[in-house]
Amino acid sequence: MRYRVQILCTSCSTPAMDSAANSALVRPTHPPGDLAIWFFILAELLVFAVFFLAYAWTRHANVELFDEFQLTLDRRAGVINTLALLTSSYAVVRAVAAIRSDLRRACVGWLLVALMLGGVFLLVKLLEYQHHFELGINLRTNIFYMFYLSLTFFHFMHVVMGMIILIAITFKARRGAYSPTQHTGVETGASYWHMVDLVWLILFPLVYVMR
Amino acid sequence: MHVRQTSNPLLKPCSWVWLLLLGLTLVTFSLGELGFDGRGTAAVVLGIAALKAQLVADHFMGLRAVAGFWRPLIFIYLVLVAVGIGLAF
Repeated sequence: MRYRVQILCTSCSTPAMDSAANSALVRPTHPPGDLAIWFFILAELLVFAVFFLAYAWTRHANVELFDEFQLTLDRRAGVINTLALLTSSYAVVRAVAAIRSDLRRACVGWLLVALMLGGVFLLVKLLEYQHHFELGINLRTNIFYMFYLSLTFFHFMHVVMGMIILIAITFKARRGAYSPTQHTGVETGASYWHMVDLVWLILFPLVYVMR
Repeated sequence: MHVRQTSNPLLKPCSWVWLLLLGLTLVTFSLGELGFDGRGTAAVVLGIAALKAQLVADHFMGLRAVAGFWRPLIFIYLVLVAVGIGLAF
């Protein structure tokens, strides 16, 4: 990883102070993980932004319909999923911190916690879908459900993708493939997982709460 | 499941941020459950959502410690999305 040294004040420092200041002010110029995943994350964020704006402005033209059918959603399921994803994201933070401290078993443990909570998210979402499908609701029911089902399923598939990445990382971590000096794979998977969480933090209030 | 504790000093702020995120989520949920609606509520809920997303980017993704355009880029993205959504409510 490349680093850039920022020196804030050179006119009022001694050589000893320079040395201390330099070590304290070194900041990485690249975010954690493989740089390629960050361009992928930016592309994903743009796609979700288009989805969010399309939902909001379609609702603007159909306020009564959106408000009526939003009431059919289970907001408790939405908040459970938000808490699960946030905690899963936190577990991934702990996994990254663990491998940086050379605690391989702790890293694997935290990754398993993250996966378990990702599983909770998928289960709750599947139960929601099952409830809707039993009522005969599908993409053609109305414009609200078209957005609700497509937007949440699009995100659902990102959770699945994130979990596949986390499973691969967990296996590699278990085999001892990562170390305090070489753990780019863990950081890369973690960054993707946090993106999946970040997007849900906007999706949940937009679809389940705002009216 | 046994998970060992790590001693990384950067974890403490992340733990507080995680608790803050859970708390803000419950505030958003409560606003919905109590039947708050309208532009004012939408603005508050959107503000909370954008704040939560920025906290995740800063602390969980680690952008707070990264030099350059990455953190401002996410900030601008969140502002534009929030304003774009807010104008429709």
